[in-house]
Amino acid sequence: MKQMPKEYYELLEKLQAVDFALVELTLYLDTHPNDYQAIQQFNQLAQQRKHLKKQYETAYGPLQQYGNSYSNYPWNWNDTPWPWQV
Amino acid sequence: MFTTRKQYEPYVSPFDPCAPILVKTYVTPPNLYVGFQPPNLPQFPLHEALKKGTLWKIFYDPYYSPYEMANKGDGQ
Repeated sequence: MKQMPKEYYELLEKLQAVDFALVELTLYLDTHPNDYQAIQQFNQLAQQRKHLKKQYETAYGPLQQYGNSYSNYPWNWNDTPWPWQV
Repeated sequence: MFTTRKQYEPYVSPFDPCAPILVKTYVTPPNLYVGFQPPNLPQFPLHEALKKGTLWKIFYDPYYSPYEMANKGDGQ
């Protein structure tokens, strides 16, 4: 039975937290285009998210498809766990 | 002290079958009182923001019922 390690879930939760903050900041910045500090925070979080994504993908495979993520060898984007199985 | 919890007194009829509830409360969303969001509001740390559903502290509103308030209060 395939079980994902604890780090898998921690990494996913970190990614989720950063993604949520990015969504909030995007919505905020839509109405506050010249809030410099929020833009700085947005860029820091975007960088942090890239780093987390890289970290996740080297360990557990692609997050997205169609060129948004690098692929492992062999082609395994359809491996379990799928998002709803996590 | 400012609170988003407002109250009203429902009409109590002399023929009410059960004991009347004299004061009823309801919670109003915090964004009513903010209008255009000012910059640099205090924020939650990321993990907490994810759990609480908002990045900015003033918009956190657990919407407890008065009965839940009794034992849980505002913390979560």
